[in-house]
Amino acid sequence: MSDAVLTAIRSSVLVVLPEIEPEQVTEEVSLTDLGANSIDRVDVVTMTMDTLGISLSVTEFTDVHDIGSLARLLRRHTP
Amino acid sequence: MGYGIEGLNVYTGLAQIPVPELFAGRGLEHERLANLAMTHRSIGLPFEDPVTNAVNAAKPLVDALDPADREAVEVLITSTESGLDLSKSVASYVHEYLGLSRNCRVFEAKQACFRGDRRAQLATGYLASGASPGAKALVVATDVALVDARAGYAEPATGHGAAAVLLSDRPTVLELDLGAFGLYSYETLDSARPTPEFDIADVDRSLFAYLDCLTNSFADYRTRVEGADFLGTFDRLAMHTPFSGLVKAAHRKLMREAGASPAQAEEDFERRVRPSLAYPAQVGNLCSGSVYLALASLLATDPVDAALRIGLYSYGSGCSAEFFSGVAGPASAEAVRAMDIGGHLAGRRRLAFDEYTALLPENLRTLVPVENRTVDVDRYARYLPGDRTLLVHTRTKDYHRMYEWR
Repeated sequence: MSDAVLTAIRSSVLVVLPEIEPEQVTEEVSLTDLGANSIDRVDVVTMTMDTLGISLSVTEFTDVHDIGSLARLLRRHTP
Repeated sequence: MGYGIEGLNVYTGLAQIPVPELFAGRGLEHERLANLAMTHRSIGLPFEDPVTNAVNAAKPLVDALDPADREAVEVLITSTESGLDLSKSVASYVHEYLGLSRNCRVFEAKQACFRGDRRAQLATGYLASGASPGAKALVVATDVALVDARAGYAEPATGHGAAAVLLSDRPTVLELDLGAFGLYSYETLDSARPTPEFDIADVDRSLFAYLDCLTNSFADYRTRVEGADFLGTFDRLAMHTPFSGLVKAAHRKLMREAGASPAQAEEDFERRVRPSLAYPAQVGNLCSGSVYLALASLLATDPVDAALRIGLYSYGSGCSAEFFSGVAGPASAEAVRAMDIGGHLAGRRRLAFDEYTALLPENLRTLVPVENRTVDVDRYARYLPGDRTLLVHTRTKDYHRMYEWR
């Protein structure tokens, strides 16, 4: 829970969904579970990629279904 | 000599339902209304189809031309994701009912919502080529909605209607910046219409692709336009508007990428983007005509007291996108306001939720090819306005669609 990718995801979630507590952002939950609507979800993903300095195509996200699978995808592309 | 949009009109249908009423009727979560930021949604009627919408949008522009100028329309393009036949184009009917010259190129183009814009760019390139001095091109982006309860939150966001754009060397409404454009396209299945009766959509994929294409098409624009920057080059912005919340997110993303703070982005949004959202919030996603509804909204509701450079973004699922720009001024606003789009929006008949759901079975058959069918126009005649004549679909005979003026 302390790697750069998860930290970046957590920071983005806290900006987009200020009512969420940091400890609620775990690999086991989805953004929808945290109350994110469609815009919130895409905001979290794009802000996290900005933070990490990476850019992925939409086709890469096919298997993303929760924060854990998002983190695994981003880790594979983070230098 | 400048080239671009001489005339712009949008047809937004004859009926509407307040979006909060649709949310209540479907049991959708009320707190998500803010994300959509919509007040009303235009609803089609059984006598409307992509042809009637297109003709009813373009007719006021064509009628305003003198006979010689009407003869000069030598390109007619319909842009739609609501095709009526795998071979015969919507444009062939539109050409007939607009009474355009037979010395005219007529065809239909498809790329989901990436609509009229590309067609307009290509047609403008043709006009500017000098191949036919004085020629005009008419591009009509026309669609109908195929959504019901199955569409979830896309149902209240989906609009109905058409946008007509007349292009020429007299660009009263918008002089396009020739050569100033940015492109971005790749294959993805974010939304589609696999049959004539329903749409499919992957919301997350679609939103991501829309934002991804905005960043990348603007990056391409910057490679072609020296010194262009998102913060300073454009006085106003008009974007393809699936719903206002997405446009706001898109603007916020480009502001962030340009180094602006969240507070700056908020102020900038109100000034540069908000005027483009007034009409879309009352209509819903006009699909292939969406960016022109946003442009019409901007020019009709913003003071436009000086020349303004406008950045435009168009996106079509599947996906293909373009960022381009042009210059409008007070005369542009005057020309668009003369179409009284706002008056027609206000004049739409309000539907109760049960009236809306009663229309759906017939509306969802609008695009289904059948050999013979009769539309009971009189049953819905109370929706027709008394102050203008409109084209209505009356029947289909031997697969041939028939229309009348009412």
